[in-house]
Amino acid sequence: MGDKTPAPADPSKSTGSPGRFSAQGAKIWGIFGLLVAICIYTALSSDRFLRVDNVENLVHRTALFGILSIGAAFVIITSGIDLSIGSLVCLVGVLLPFLLTRYDWPAAAGVAAVIGLSVAIGITHGLLITRMRLQPFVVTLCGLLLYRGIARGITDDRSQGFGIEFKDLRSIATSQLPIFGSGDDVFHLPATTLILIIVAVAAAVFLNKTIYGRYLLALGNNPDAARYSGINVNHMTLLAYVICSTLAGLGGMLFVLDINAAQPSDFGNFYELYAIAAAVLGGCSLRGGEGSIAGVLIGSAVMVVLSNAINLVHPDYQNIEFAIIGGVILIGVIVDELARRFVASRREAARHAGQ
Amino acid sequence: MSRFSLVGAVVAALLFSSGCNSGKTPSKDNSAANLAFITNGVADFWEHAQAGAETAGKELDVDVSVIMPSSITDQTRKIEDLLVRGTDGIAVSPIDPANQVEILNKAAAQTNLITHDSDAPDTNRLVYIGMDNFDAGLLCGQTLREAMPDGGKVMIFVGRLDQDNAKRRRQGFIDGFLNRKADRERSDAAGDVLTSEDQKYTVLGTMTDQFDRARAKANGEDALTRHSDLAAMVGLFEYNPPLILEALDRAGKLGQVKVMAFDENDATLQGIKDGNVVATVVQNPYQYGYKSIQVLNALHKENKSVVPENKFIDIPARVINKSNVDEFWQEIKDRLNK
Repeated sequence: MGDKTPAPADPSKSTGSPGRFSAQGAKIWGIFGLLVAICIYTALSSDRFLRVDNVENLVHRTALFGILSIGAAFVIITSGIDLSIGSLVCLVGVLLPFLLTRYDWPAAAGVAAVIGLSVAIGITHGLLITRMRLQPFVVTLCGLLLYRGIARGITDDRSQGFGIEFKDLRSIATSQLPIFGSGDDVFHLPATTLILIIVAVAAAVFLNKTIYGRYLLALGNNPDAARYSGINVNHMTLLAYVICSTLAGLGGMLFVLDINAAQPSDFGNFYELYAIAAAVLGGCSLRGGEGSIAGVLIGSAVMVVLSNAINLVHPDYQNIEFAIIGGVILIGVIVDELARRFVASRREAARHAGQ
Repeated sequence: MSRFSLVGAVVAALLFSSGCNSGKTPSKDNSAANLAFITNGVADFWEHAQAGAETAGKELDVDVSVIMPSSITDQTRKIEDLLVRGTDGIAVSPIDPANQVEILNKAAAQTNLITHDSDAPDTNRLVYIGMDNFDAGLLCGQTLREAMPDGGKVMIFVGRLDQDNAKRRRQGFIDGFLNRKADRERSDAAGDVLTSEDQKYTVLGTMTDQFDRARAKANGEDALTRHSDLAAMVGLFEYNPPLILEALDRAGKLGQVKVMAFDENDATLQGIKDGNVVATVVQNPYQYGYKSIQVLNALHKENKSVVPENKFIDIPARVINKSNVDEFWQEIKDRLNK
């Protein structure tokens, strides 16, 4: 299967029909509308929601979840799944302070080790899925159990943190750059948001402007067609898992640098599901072949803003936070599906009118 | 790249409006103080604290929000959001005090911050309200030792050991049970088998469950399976002893293996009445809640005299056994029904 074919099929045939883009556009507008609606509701209910420091908190948190979600989107686009994201966040989250404080590794070596580990995990996932033909769900489910178990094992289940050390390293996740405004209203762009912007732009360019991004979409859409048209499906699938695990590792590192400590037992719990939810909310189809980076970012923002809204407006409802998030996502997905059908029927009508 | 302009638009829209709204005062003027009581997780134990905090809130006519976060990340986020929302005081049980210095000091800079249940001595918290967990653990260990004159092997069960109160409580228990010289600084590894000088008393180890109840019960069952000569099981967190009882019941060993408990779960108290639990060491979570709100309200009113010199308001632990369980149970029932 792995023979290289220099002349790939025109990718626009498999992914790029004009209709797909407008449907994708409708999805993004739909989720964007949802985000705006939640923001408006929260802003009307709390005069603190739009305060500069809260907005800083929100873009910071969106950045952390957004990085994980972009990774999840890459595997979802290939019609795969990665359930190990949260556990990898945990493993990296405990390993970095563990190496730095327990074994006195230099910061750069610690960072290189955890990122290298994340890449290696991605390669392992990819190889198991493409070479051994194991199902992505199974491989990454085992990863979910393995990485958390390992994290708890090597740390003896003890919380790992930086204490008051490593301020320089932590500034990667905690520093802020003043952007505009004056006095108390200066908006500081969190460094994490800057990292997210870099990751997102790179991901979007890769997905939309390079032939490899087209391959990914094509293979998610129809792996057999992609294979017959000469795409090296194995390599592309492997790449998607490497991107996902690497971003999960980067996210995990930023999370622990931000929070300053990670508990092996619950750090990153459920984060794979948040990432998948954000990706789906942002227009990725679990059937593969569809997805946009902007949508995923807005999806992440919806999750973060919802949680913030509950804290600011209805702290009494914290117990049912999951239910609220689940309900809103469901509504979002339903509205999205209705919008998609509406666009499709309009197009159909237009075609008939044109004949 | 028009999709990116959307994200840009959101951020920009948020930013533009942010300028107009900032700079309001934390609480509505002339209205009741707005105080927050933050726990370190979700547990029945905290319902007693909640009852105390809310009773104090009613008596003092202040607004009290009780917040039960699910993890250290969640606790940090909840504090951040609380600071944004505006608050006149926070009482928190920090999950990992040594690594939460920054967020706790950030809170202390903006409002009155006190700790309860688990202290964060290296922060700018104004006072700690709670018991000394080491002393309570010591009391627990000594009580069980007295109930086992012939000695025996014990397994410890606890939610997690990365929490300051759990660590101290466990070290206290071990020192009390083995009758070692009390040493607050000692740290025994969870897997270590420890034996008393006279070889009569043995601690087999400590099993953690991360607040996962199913896991906690399975731990109890597995310990019984593995150690047929297990003489006693001790649960250091509120939900542990009832699950130990479940595990014993399942194994048909109720009453045969001694159970030593912490806190006042109904099943634990019933176990004491039935003779299946030796005794329980109770904290006073109701007082943690009540006192926290009382102190925060005083601090809000600029009354600093509520803070003692050593910045520690002691709510001591006591032992509940068959002789006083009925009286104690009635007392806490009355509290929760208030």
